[in-house]
Amino acid sequence: MKVLIAGFGTVGQGIAEVIGTRQSLFDAMGEKVSIVGAFDSSSLIYGDNLDPKYLVEKKKTTGKVGDKEIPDDVASYIEEADFDILLDTTPTNIDHAEPGLTYILSALHSGKHVITSNKGPLALKFSTLSAAADANGVQLKYEASVGGAMPIINLSKQLLAGENIISLRGILNGTCNFILNRMKEEGLPFYQALREAQDLGYAETDPTYDIDGVDSAAKVAILANAIFGMDVNYYDVVRSGIRNITEDAIALAAEENSVIRLIGEIGGGKLEVAPRLVPMGHPLSIGGTQNMANIITDLAGEITVSGRGAGKNETASAMLSDLISIIRNKE
Amino acid sequence: MKMKINVDLRLKDVPGQLVSALDPISSCGGNIRGVVHHHDVKDGGRIAVNVTFEASSDPVFHRILDEWEKRDVEVAKINSFIETYPIRYLLVGDISSAEMESVTRGLESIENVVSIDVRYTGAATSSSHTALITGTVSSQDTLKTLDDFFYERTQKKNYLLVRGLEL
Ligand SMILES: NC(=O)c1ccc[n+]([C@@H]2O[C@H](COP(=O)([O-])OP(=O)(O)OC[C@H]3O[C@@H](n4cnc5c(N)ncnc54)[C@H](OP(=O)(O)O)[C@@H]3O)[C@@H](O)[C@H]2O)c1
Repeated sequence: MKVLIAGFGTVGQGIAEVIGTRQSLFDAMGEKVSIVGAFDSSSLIYGDNLDPKYLVEKKKTTGKVGDKEIPDDVASYIEEADFDILLDTTPTNIDHAEPGLTYILSALHSGKHVITSNKGPLALKFSTLSAAADANGVQLKYEASVGGAMPIINLSKQLLAGENIISLRGILNGTCNFILNRMKEEGLPFYQALREAQDLGYAETDPTYDIDGVDSAAKVAILANAIFGMDVNYYDVVRSGIRNITEDAIALAAEENSVIRLIGEIGGGKLEVAPRLVPMGHPLSIGGTQNMANIITDLAGEITVSGRGAGKNETASAMLSDLISIIRNKE
Repeated sequence: MKMKINVDLRLKDVPGQLVSALDPISSCGGNIRGVVHHHDVKDGGRIAVNVTFEASSDPVFHRILDEWEKRDVEVAKINSFIETYPIRYLLVGDISSAEMESVTRGLESIENVVSIDVRYTGAATSSSHTALITGTVSSQDTLKTLDDFFYERTQKKNYLLVRGLEL
């Protein structure tokens, strides 16, 4: 299988490295996986079998993954280039979903599978993308877009395939969880806990997507489509974030033996992201940066999964599981 | 309103009596939660059975009692309690004490609210206050009514709502 990597930041480099280190696994599956191209916001490289180590090193030392300029019409390039799977790791944009949306659609329309970690296109145009994949007989996989290494989508779609999933509640943003937990444990005001999260590299310089619940709402929209079979988008999710949570609120919650957590919820006709009072000891009262999802199904009852929601290797792990699934389906 | 009822029954010591005693509960729409059959406890020649069940209303419970009377099932003791559901809401923001009073009055006027406790904090110098409202309601529908009440209120008055996550 020939793969083209779109975007070569943290996740793009992570999946390139994992493809390099998992060659024996692909061999054992009787499949050769080679990187035949990669591009970032300004440069492009292509070749028969590019060395992931070389690509990462080049990106680190020069700031560009390729030595050619990125084509003016990337969409046409994607349509015409000879490869089997697009690995889309371009930035999430929740207003217009670009550039990922155009890249993904170009790949699907030209008969290529897509694996993406990018939430924007899925949260805004899920049904369009699914229809394009179906119409062209190819697969669209996106485990990495929700919860990083927490295997919620494939778990629900494959292992729980016969279940009716009644509801889902989850901690879908590790940064918010870290901030709320630091406020509780250390009595820090919100903005100080946020600064700490930024210093530790958990939160972006512009943390709006995290603290205003945008990132969690995008994930709720993706999950609602992917595992509840709804036809909704990001704007259908009722959303409030955590920036107005005060130390007093955290302290009053503690008196009630509870913590405040930003919870994404699907079920009972509700699509919501909001801070909630969670009793201590409840699975969703965890601290740290882990993501966690608690689903209720009609037969199995309650199932809780957790995992690291972000990080280079964690996200690459989720994309690798999608890659393996495409290889298996091909067999 | 959901009632949980625990009854001590006395059954005739002949085969088929237990089924005959439990049958009216299910046929009247009750939900059996537990049965303890005391074979060794005899009271006036009858066998003691303790049954716990849920009924959706008082009339349903009385239909079950009537049916037992017809079937010669003696009822030695009844304990019944209304099932309640906890409520927890935290409000954060510019909430004046007048607004808090108005919220409390609003809550008191909602049907099936059994108890309410309000804790209100915040420095007189700061505009940010926090209120924690806890209590119980006796109907699941009221949970939805309260969610709507708080949602509308916080939207209108522009403060933050943190709802409890029911288990
Ligand atoms: N980081 C995580 O832990 C994580 C976890 C789950 C999901 N995700 C999602 O995965 C995606 C990638 O995240 P990341 O952390 O790797 O981001 P990142 O480090 O900012 O990398 C984004 C890459 O996309 C490239 N890019 C930007 N505009 C482009 C364009 N128009 N065409 C082609 N490439 C373009 C950037 O190019 P330059 O290098 O030239 O700027 C960069 O290489 C995002 O959608 C994110 O939400 C990330």
